[in-house]
Amino acid sequence: MSRRSLFVVSLILTVLLTPPAWHPEPVRIQLARWFGPGTYVSPPPSLPSAAFEPETFCPADLAGWRSSQTIGDVTIRASRSCEPDNPFAVAAFVRGTNNVAEGVLQQSGLTPDAVTKGEDLDGDGDPDVIHLRLEVAELNGASPDNTEPVVQFPIAPGVKPGFWVFAPKMAGMATENFESLRARPMLRLPSPVIRVEQGDRIEITLENSHYMPHTIHFHGVDHPFVDESGEGNDGVPIASEMPVMPGRDRTYNLTPRQAGTMFYHCHVQPHLHIMMGLQGMFVVEENAPDNWVQTLNVGGGQVRAPSKGVQEEYDREYDLHYFDIDTELNEIIQSSNDPRVITDEMHNRYDITDATFDLFTVNGRSFPYTFRESLVSVEPDERVRLRVLNGGSGPLALHTHGHKPTITAFDGVPVPTPARITRDVFMLSSAQRVDLTLDTTNDGLHSFGSGIWLMHDHQQKGTTTDGIGPGGNISAIVYGDYQGEDGWPLTQGMPYDLFFTEAYYKGLLPLWEAYAGDSFSPPAPASRFHLRTLAFALAVGATLGFGLLLLRGRT
Amino acid sequence: MIAAVLLAAAMATSDGQTTDAMDAGHGHMHHMSSPTHQVESHQMEPSHHHHAHQMNADGMVMNANDSVLPRDCQEISEDVSFEIMAGTEFAHGPGDTFGMSQHNLEAQPCSRITVTFMNHDDIRHQWMVHGLPRYLYPGGMFHLEANGGAAITGTFIVPSDRKTYLVHCDMSQHMEKGMKAQLKVGGGDGDLWSIPGISENYIHANDSGLTIGQALGAALLAFVVVLVVPRWRRKGP
Ligand SMILES: [Cu+2]
Ligand SMILES: [Cu+2]
Repeated sequence: MSRRSLFVVSLILTVLLTPPAWHPEPVRIQLARWFGPGTYVSPPPSLPSAAFEPETFCPADLAGWRSSQTIGDVTIRASRSCEPDNPFAVAAFVRGTNNVAEGVLQQSGLTPDAVTKGEDLDGDGDPDVIHLRLEVAELNGASPDNTEPVVQFPIAPGVKPGFWVFAPKMAGMATENFESLRARPMLRLPSPVIRVEQGDRIEITLENSHYMPHTIHFHGVDHPFVDESGEGNDGVPIASEMPVMPGRDRTYNLTPRQAGTMFYHCHVQPHLHIMMGLQGMFVVEENAPDNWVQTLNVGGGQVRAPSKGVQEEYDREYDLHYFDIDTELNEIIQSSNDPRVITDEMHNRYDITDATFDLFTVNGRSFPYTFRESLVSVEPDERVRLRVLNGGSGPLALHTHGHKPTITAFDGVPVPTPARITRDVFMLSSAQRVDLTLDTTNDGLHSFGSGIWLMHDHQQKGTTTDGIGPGGNISAIVYGDYQGEDGWPLTQGMPYDLFFTEAYYKGLLPLWEAYAGDSFSPPAPASRFHLRTLAFALAVGATLGFGLLLLRGRT
Repeated sequence: MIAAVLLAAAMATSDGQTTDAMDAGHGHMHHMSSPTHQVESHQMEPSHHHHAHQMNADGMVMNANDSVLPRDCQEISEDVSFEIMAGTEFAHGPGDTFGMSQHNLEAQPCSRITVTFMNHDDIRHQWMVHGLPRYLYPGGMFHLEANGGAAITGTFIVPSDRKTYLVHCDMSQHMEKGMKAQLKVGGGDGDLWSIPGISENYIHANDSGLTIGQALGAALLAFVVVLVVPRWRRKGP
C-alpha cells in the first residue's frame, strides 16, 4: 500500500474511533439524526467485594476490671466501658503508690515512686503533699530493626501516627510482652489527666526518658514563675529555664490556690511538641475534708474515684480531651531513626503554617475505638460533669445530640449562675476548657430521653479520619438501657464490621455494601471502552506519522 | 505438665534464694562510683509473692536464679560478673541517645552470670535478656531495672547451647536509640542486627546523599557516554 492510502485509512479510522463522549455537540446531533440512538450497552458490573476480617468490637473483660470494687479502702466505681481502666492503678493513684499493698502496686504496673502521697498539712483527713513523676514515651515510633512502627498505639483500625506522650512511671516493658509490638495498656494517648486538690503542695518531676529535650508548662494552673530556690518553674525555655535534656529530670512546684479545669503541655518548640501529644488536662478539685483525689486518670474518660466535691454535686464525671493531628508532622518520627534527622525535618522542613489536620481524636482515639472506651454512660435524671479540653490546633464545635448541657466554667473560672449558658454546640478554640453540666432529665430541653446520642465536632472534617467517615472524634452519650452487658452500645442502624476493618480507613471498602448489596460499590473498569479509546489514540498517531512521511516525500 | 512443675519449683527456689544473690551484689558494690552520680545500692527486701519479681526504691529484679540449673547443664561451668553502666553518657555513636558501657558480652555455656547494672542517668533504665528457657525464666526473660542514679544486681544461669541473646532496655525508643547489646554464650550463633559499634542497622537510612532522580541522571550520563565515545573514536578527532 502506498503511503497515501495508509494515511487515508488511518485518518478514516481516527474519525470512526473517536469516542462518542468526545464528539462535538453538532456532530452528535447530526449522527443521531442519521442513525438514531446507539444500541444498549450494559455498563460494567460492580466490583466484587473484598473479603475482610473485622477486629473484635468489644474485648471481653477477663480480669473483671469493669465491676465496681473496693481495693484496699478505695472505692472504685463500675465502668461500662469495653476497655475499663485498671482498678489497681486507680487505687494506687488515689492512695499513693507509697501507701498501697505490694500486691496492688504490682497489679497497677506502677513504680513505688510513681505517685507518692505524704503529710496531711491542714489536718482534714487527706494528704496534701503529693509527688508525681512523669516520663516521656514515644508511640508508633521508628526502629532500626522493623519496618512496622514500634510501641504501637492505633487510634483507629490501622491508623498509627507517631506520638510523644507524658506517661505515668511504670515498671517493666513498654509493650504488652516481648512478642507484641503493642504498647502496654497505660502507655497511650492522651497524656494522663492530672488531678489534685486545691491548696495541695505538689511536686511534679519530669523524668525525660525521651531522646528530645522537653519541659512541662502548667497552663492556667496557679504556680510561681520560679521555685523557692530561684530555679525556673514555668517550663518555658525562651523565658524561664533551659529544656530538660534526655536522661535528665526536673521538679516543678505548685500549690494551686484556685480550683478548675486547666491544661499542661511541653513548651519546647510548642508548635511541634504539643502537636506530637505532649499535652494533658490538669484538674484542680475544690478543697474538702477527706478528699482523696485520683491523681491520674489515664486515657481520660470516666473518673472512677471522683473527688468529694464532685461526688456531692454530680452522679458521674468524665474528662474529654480533644486533639487533632497533622499526619505530615506526626509521621516524621517514623521516617528516620536518627534524632538529628528528625530534628532537622521537624524544625527546618515541616511548616505548620502549611498544615492541614487529618485526624481527630477524643481521649486519644477516633471512631469506632471511641465507642470502646470514650462513651459518656448515663442514666435518666442524673447530673453529669463533663470537663472538656480542646488541645488541638483548630477550633472544636462540640455538639451533643439530644441534650443541651450548661456551661458552668470557662478555662477553669466558674460562670456566675445567672450568666450560665445552656446550648448544644460548644465552640472551643485551641487550649480552651469548658466545664459542662449534663442534665439527663427528660424535659425536651436538657435531654430528649434515653438513647445513643452522638457527641462530635460539628466542623464536619472532625467526624472523619483523614477524610473518611464515620471517624474522627465521634463518641456518644449512652443510656444504660442502650448499652449491652459487655458495654457495647445497642445500635439499631448500620453494622460496624466495616468500621472495625483497617482497609475501610484506607478507602478500600465500599460503605453501604452490607445492606445495599453492591448497588453502591465502585464499577469494574470497562475494558471495551478502554480498548476503543486506545485504538483511537493509535489511529491518531498513525495518521500524524503517515502525514509527516507524505510531506517529507514531497520535498 | 513437667514444665509447669519445674517452673513452680524454680520460682519457689528463686524466691528463697535471690536474697543471697542480692547480698553478694551488695558486697562488691561499695567501691563503685560513677563520674556523674554517687551510685548507691540497697539490699533488696525479699518478696513473698509467687512472682519471681522484686521491687524497691532502686528498681527491680525479675526472674533472678542463682541455683537452679538449666536441664541441659550438669553443673555451673563458671561464675562471671559484669558491671554495666548505662545512660546518655554511654551513647555509642552519632545518632544514638542512650547506651551501655558494654554492648557485647561473652560467657561460657552453663555459666552463672551476675550483672550489676549502674544507671548514670536521672531516669529509669533496664538491662533485659530475652530468649532464655521459659521453663526456668517466665517469658524467657531476665530483667534488671534501675531507677535514676541507682544500681541493681541480679544473677541468672544460662543453658548449654551456643546462642546469642538479645540484651536491651525496653523503655520506649531506648533500644532503638542505642540501648541494644548481645550476650554470646559459647561464642554465640552470630551477631544480632543494629548493635551499636558491632553490627549495622537492619533498616537502612537513605545515607547515600543521592536522590533516585540524581542516580538516574548519572545512569543516563553513562548511557550517553557509551553511545558517543565509540563513534567519536571511529571518526577520529
Ligand atoms: Cu517537648
Ligand atoms: Cu533505657
